[in-house]
Amino acid sequence: MSQKNKTDNEVTIREHVFDGIQEYDQKLPNWWLFTLYITMVWFVIAWFIYYQTTLPTLTDHERIDANIAVIEEKKKAELETMLASLSNESLKEMSTDATHTGAGKAIFETKCAACHGLDLSAKLGGIQLPGLPLNDTEWKYGGKPLEIMNIVTNGSPDITKGMIAWKTQLSPSEIAQVVSYILSKQPQT
Amino acid sequence: MTSDSPTRNKVTITFDDKTPRWFMIASIGWGVVAMLVGVLIAFQLNFWQVNGKIFEYLTFGWFRSEGIEFLTFGRLRPLHTNAAIFAFVGNMMFAGVYYSTQRLCNTRTFSDLLSKIHFWGWQLIIVFAAVSLPAGLTRGKEYAELIWPINLMVVVIWVVFALNFFLTLKIRRERSLYVALWFYIATIITVAMLYIVNHLQIPSSLVHSYPVFGGVQDALVQWWYGHNAVAFFLTTPILGIMYYFMPKAANRPVYSYRLSIVHFWSLVFIYIWAGPHHLLNTALPQWLQILGMFFSLMLWAPSWGGMINGLLTLRGAWDKLRTDPVIKFFVVAVTFYGMSTFEGPLLSIRSVSALAHYTDWIVGHVHSGTLGWNGFMAAGMFYWLAPRFWRTKLWSVNLANFHFWIGTIGILLYVASLWFAGIIQGLMLNETDPTGTRLVNEFVQTVDKIQLLMLTRAIGGTLYLVGFVLLVINIWKTAKSGKAVDETREVFEDPAVAKDRMAWGAVFRNDPIALTFWGLFFGILWFFLPPGASHMALLVTLGFAAYATYRFKKDTATWAKWYDDISENYLPFTVLVVIAVVIGGAVQIIPVVTVNRAMNVEDRLQKVYTPLELAGRDVYISEGCYNCHSQMIRTLVPDVLRYGDYSRLGESIYDHPFQWGSKRTGPDLAREGGVRSDSWHYLHLLNPRDLNPQSRMPNYPWLAQRKTDFGALPGKIAVQQRLGVPFPIMTPEEIEQHARQQAQEIAGRLVAEKVKIPVKKGDKEPTNEVEARDYLAGTKIVAVIAYLQKLGAFDVVAPPENPEPTKPRTIMPGIPDKLRPAPKAEPVKPADPAPTVTTAQN
Repeated sequence: MSQKNKTDNEVTIREHVFDGIQEYDQKLPNWWLFTLYITMVWFVIAWFIYYQTTLPTLTDHERIDANIAVIEEKKKAELETMLASLSNESLKEMSTDATHTGAGKAIFETKCAACHGLDLSAKLGGIQLPGLPLNDTEWKYGGKPLEIMNIVTNGSPDITKGMIAWKTQLSPSEIAQVVSYILSKQPQT
Repeated sequence: MTSDSPTRNKVTITFDDKTPRWFMIASIGWGVVAMLVGVLIAFQLNFWQVNGKIFEYLTFGWFRSEGIEFLTFGRLRPLHTNAAIFAFVGNMMFAGVYYSTQRLCNTRTFSDLLSKIHFWGWQLIIVFAAVSLPAGLTRGKEYAELIWPINLMVVVIWVVFALNFFLTLKIRRERSLYVALWFYIATIITVAMLYIVNHLQIPSSLVHSYPVFGGVQDALVQWWYGHNAVAFFLTTPILGIMYYFMPKAANRPVYSYRLSIVHFWSLVFIYIWAGPHHLLNTALPQWLQILGMFFSLMLWAPSWGGMINGLLTLRGAWDKLRTDPVIKFFVVAVTFYGMSTFEGPLLSIRSVSALAHYTDWIVGHVHSGTLGWNGFMAAGMFYWLAPRFWRTKLWSVNLANFHFWIGTIGILLYVASLWFAGIIQGLMLNETDPTGTRLVNEFVQTVDKIQLLMLTRAIGGTLYLVGFVLLVINIWKTAKSGKAVDETREVFEDPAVAKDRMAWGAVFRNDPIALTFWGLFFGILWFFLPPGASHMALLVTLGFAAYATYRFKKDTATWAKWYDDISENYLPFTVLVVIAVVIGGAVQIIPVVTVNRAMNVEDRLQKVYTPLELAGRDVYISEGCYNCHSQMIRTLVPDVLRYGDYSRLGESIYDHPFQWGSKRTGPDLAREGGVRSDSWHYLHLLNPRDLNPQSRMPNYPWLAQRKTDFGALPGKIAVQQRLGVPFPIMTPEEIEQHARQQAQEIAGRLVAEKVKIPVKKGDKEPTNEVEARDYLAGTKIVAVIAYLQKLGAFDVVAPPENPEPTKPRTIMPGIPDKLRPAPKAEPVKPADPAPTVTTAQN
């Protein structure tokens, strides 16, 4: 290079001085060059594999669709097994079993109490909460245990003024436990 | 100028040190403001009451407030980011540029008047920003929130700066350009380009506008800008400052000139391509995600080139690290630069991003750059400059050392706690039950889990602020102990100095340019050509690379001579920088914005908003909801399980601006519409804790008090129509009537559920149901509910015919419309639910 002067230990310092600042002209560190080259080579190879070979078999959408389909299949089977084993009577029976109602209570307090109130009255210190009261005998969508199970699973028919579907967040057995807890709180007639 | 020549005349020049001095003072002042706001909003993430309800406790109930709208997180976070970037670092950068450029060019700045306009204009912009952002006037795009009149001011002032800078280069007495000036050139050019493209917009009023790009196009342009704001506003100018002040402070030569060349050009060329890594696993076309990820990996070495050149410059001067606070700050700053530019490529890997994106890890990453790299470079530079500006000694070296330690501890607490917070929250959000079919944790539980870490972060930030206040005291005392002086210097003027004489032919017609050009040309063809031709393009590219290597080895001296010549000619140099920074954006953005939107919808098309929903959307943007809520369900199982089906491109195609978000402090809202009841949203907006006791979201009582601006809707819809959003044709009266009718319906449902109305003090309480309905129908809260209930509404459209059934197919880069086979059918027009509206063909 035209501007260089050799110094004793082979490191060159450039002739030009800027406001007192000088510059060495050291060789680029090998490990640094290697890092630069390897990322560039990686780019060429990886892009080639992505777009010019048949190796990547699935697009993002195909992959996620397949994964979700498996999960949905599992959930469906789970629900069907659960429903097959349930009846109005068995749910009633569960509501007398403290292990089920206890588990249901815990779920109710984290997921449901925000709208239906801790005491199922849908009131918080006199303020009306968005949910309907569950401690009276009035059932807007049917009061049979399986009907309650259905409304919890699938949500209100008109979502703009009703409850969300809980099947995305709760398993069928958890829903059954919540229903058993609600049933256990019913005024006995 | 080392050799003396009898032909040169001695001249005495006085540098304009007043301008950098004032910029430094401004940077320090705004720095305190930016950090103070940062600390405030960091505490808000723990205690939402810091938004103003806190005054209730402090005054023992004398001051009653559920929260002050000007102090909510959504409005202050943009203020914090804009102040930190443009006010603190911006002014610091200008101080460094004005100080060093004069000395590196051996001349006073070209025009004192331009310097003055630049300084005062910039401060005026910041004042406007500080008023408009808390007032809720925003464009809703990150780091580009300022409204359009302020955008125009920024452009004018930036042009003033550029003129002043380039004319100073023109009158320089130095033959060649020092590496610091290369970085300044890249900064000025690129920021201008980024800013203008990302601020293309059509105003609907003096304080409101819609960006011309929508949906995926807006997302791509925004993050091309957002990422390169980091690159060319927070990195390149600071590297230039490092190249001047580091060797000055250490009194050592720069480590390697050729490393400067290689890392400068690779940095400015590659940085531009990395923007899409902010949108990994989203609806962004996959080829762009992959391109962004790979270029981010390639950016690692060029970034570290700067770190190496900085740190190794200190060889032989390491003893100063013990005594000189300036060197301490610089060393830690450069180390943080190295750390965050390693973390960046790591986070750009799609599988890492899947965990880290939308969490606090990203926030920590950004702050290791801004607090560590920018903040400490600023501190070092200020401590070095102050004694020179006021011709005295630094008031207290001990205090500066204390600032160094308290600041370092602050950053470490900040960054480490957010690493943990981000990873813990990311893992919790992804946790499923043993069957793998259901998520275990509610969103709010994950927020609750990281509270202690968030508090640690706020404390770390506070420590950093305390350190910065010590700097304020130290600089103030230093200034007091001396007298402001402008440096005078005797220089030799050589009228025959051989600068800026290169012919344009010599600039472009040579091996380095020709080989780079053809190599890149075929490399880009390789991305876009159909299979077969693309293989050929790749082979040609590799051929050029091999040939270039051969030529370089053979003609090293000629290539080096060419580069030396270029760096003695500022205009050709600038033109080459322009070309280098334009390519990346052009390759990514042009295909996406020229592709017809109809081809970009995948299988779903967003339903067009009704007038009321549009009004609600503008309230959502104005309140800064996007700072905490994303609207983008990624193609990841946990995202789909939590929020529903993954987002398609078409589902935000009419969103000007897009609202995909960048951080989930609250849950995603892409499919929020129709999931919950209107009254749930009403109660939740007024006090989230009524429905979700652990929530950190602030109360929004003023939404039920402020009136929706129905009168502005016709103007806004006219702009949306001009942007190609297929709003049905309506007269202004019809628009207003339609909006009011929809508002009445929602208000009616709320009143039927007997919601409480928090009427403003002094306003008349509604006495019956009709009055209550009429009152609510006019308020912003009803408009916001209308908008929230629309989120995720779409029409199914037939997927475009796939002409190439062999793989790879849908992941190929987008091809401009003209070259595509015509689509089979136009997508179905969105049906409007309201009866009074006639649907028109777009």
